[in-house]
Amino acid sequence: MNISWFHLMPYRLLPDDFEKRYRSVWVDVPSHLFDPREAHHLYNEFLDELEYADQAGFDGICVNEHHNNAYGIMPSPNLMAAMLARRTSNAALIVLGNSLALYNPPIRVAEEFAMLDVASGGRLVAGFPVGTSMDTNFAYGQNPATLRKKYYEAHDLVIRAWTEPEPFAFNGKHTQIRYVNIWPRPLQDPHPPVWIPGGGSVETWEWTSRMDYVYCYLSYSGYKHGTRVMNGFWNEMEKLGVDDNPYRAGFLQLVAVSETDERAEEEYGPHVDYFYKKNLHVYEGFADAPGYRTLKTMRKGVKSQVGSSASRKRQGLTWKEYVEEGYVIAGSPKTVVENLRRAAEGLRVGQLMVLLQIGSMPKDLTIKNTRLFAEQVMPHVHDMWDEYEDRWWPKPIDDRAPVASLPADGA
Amino acid sequence: MHEPPWGGLRKSRLHGECEDDGAQMTGPAQLTVDAGPATARVTKAGGGAPLVYLHGPFGHRGWPAFLDRLSESFTVYAPVHPGFDETVGIESIDDILDLTLYHVDLLDGLRLERPHLAGHHFGAMIAAEIAAINPHRVDRLVLASPAGLWLDDAPGVDYFATPAEELRALLFSDPDSHVASSAMPEPADEEEREEQSIERSRALSTVAKFLWPIPDKGLAKRLRRIRSRTLVTVAEGDPVVPPEYGEAFADAIPDCRLSTLGGAGHLYPLERPDEFARLIAQFLRS
Repeated sequence: MNISWFHLMPYRLLPDDFEKRYRSVWVDVPSHLFDPREAHHLYNEFLDELEYADQAGFDGICVNEHHNNAYGIMPSPNLMAAMLARRTSNAALIVLGNSLALYNPPIRVAEEFAMLDVASGGRLVAGFPVGTSMDTNFAYGQNPATLRKKYYEAHDLVIRAWTEPEPFAFNGKHTQIRYVNIWPRPLQDPHPPVWIPGGGSVETWEWTSRMDYVYCYLSYSGYKHGTRVMNGFWNEMEKLGVDDNPYRAGFLQLVAVSETDERAEEEYGPHVDYFYKKNLHVYEGFADAPGYRTLKTMRKGVKSQVGSSASRKRQGLTWKEYVEEGYVIAGSPKTVVENLRRAAEGLRVGQLMVLLQIGSMPKDLTIKNTRLFAEQVMPHVHDMWDEYEDRWWPKPIDDRAPVASLPADGA
Repeated sequence: MHEPPWGGLRKSRLHGECEDDGAQMTGPAQLTVDAGPATARVTKAGGGAPLVYLHGPFGHRGWPAFLDRLSESFTVYAPVHPGFDETVGIESIDDILDLTLYHVDLLDGLRLERPHLAGHHFGAMIAAEIAAINPHRVDRLVLASPAGLWLDDAPGVDYFATPAEELRALLFSDPDSHVASSAMPEPADEEEREEQSIERSRALSTVAKFLWPIPDKGLAKRLRRIRSRTLVTVAEGDPVVPPEYGEAFADAIPDCRLSTLGGAGHLYPLERPDEFARLIAQFLRS
């Protein structure tokens, strides 16, 4: 199994009464709440944490894209991945990803991902989410009625730009370019593996399997609630006659490791609370612009992960319930190993992503969580799914350039 | 197909032409009209000079009282916008020009040379576009709380981001009235809530296709082309289209009267049907 370290880069300095005074952490959260001097330290700590994860032996490090948002202060994951490309050497750079319809023209994504892939020696995973309604419709003004069509068209353009060796013309409905001809093209052949983060829509499952991509469910609700979506995914794969290779699927799980179960609660409890109460405090009106979810998905009863009904479900949860309901896998290394194996088994995921920096967790605690996970959990879960072939992992070149040290005299 | 809550329908299908049996129509009849990219479902009632009414994003279902009043003096044609209810064809209507031309095709299909046009909000914007792009095609024009302009100082409430359970309070001056609760009923159970939410999404995503995220799509430049004598109505207490928009439209349209309804909310066509119908009828006859 591949285990990757995922960073949301949450802003951890929201006022104590944030969720009472403001209606949403996303879209219209006023930027005067953002302190750039503090955030200077936050960004650097976040990057330290990701670099440490590389050193600690995680298979991949993950960044993602959000806008107008205090739970993820990372509007450009490509900038973060670029910084990480030079300061890490082994981990896959998993950018989950670029919301294709937000880029004009979308070949910008083809170019930047190709740059990252070449610069990192072929370590890139290219993630293409549609993007949440908050990000795409409300923060970036994209039309919910046409967002998905624009997304699919952009995807086709990016893949052609990566794979066609000669300039070509692209006459799309949303993008028209007379000369598509990107420099550089990606290092991985034919292109970096593509992962699609999704929220459980049937159309996305069908499309992902047709394209032979990885489907990722980036859940905040943990493995127990996530079973419904992942069961739906695997049932759909069976219906489509697609094999059940676990590496087709990714899942994000919150994990908190300490010496004992009791200490885990003591150390991580307040930060998990901050994450669910503040970081996921999203106004119902922004959860789902009209037309964002397809009618077919609505009819399936697939609900948004944010907004008032999701919040109601989490209302008043205690640490015990967060743990029992699987929102967080927490406790001693032994407890975490047991539950994590059960989770990966039940969800049938080969691409496990773990969130080890949660909500307001400071760097020292994040490093502790990461170290304990790497030393005492990872060795006992890494062997899962070894019997399957992973066709969706980056293939870096062997002779990657080392980061040279600077000459001492500046010459 | 959605059945409107009144009986005695006469159904007929028109293929690019309107039936004319010479008889004076009275009760509402359902027509199906091929109009270029989409097929329109049109309710027709009454007799007299033709008046086409284009509905807004909310509360379009059934046969509202104000149209019934108007049908006493006019032949009222009330099409359902493609994308609303179970209608199809919206997929191939991409932008304001497509939408306007579809409506011109619809007038052709109904064999209406130069009808009066009226509309509310989204429907009023379409009516204004038709009159601006094709000024000789419209007799008189009624724009009730029209969408289509943007004022930085009076943006109006973002109804696209208003949760379902808050809509009634947003749209009606008296959200507890019988009119409000029958236009937007409380869901009886979870299933009905889901159905309503799908219905709302279908309707609003159609409107969003043309008005997202800000409704200024160039109409401001085109309003000067309108030749029709025009009545603009706005409501004093409308949070969706604040009354300032009345002035803005009236200033831009060459021959325009403005009427502001005191104490009314956004859906005054439903809440104050007699007054609204009288305003329109008086204006069309004047």
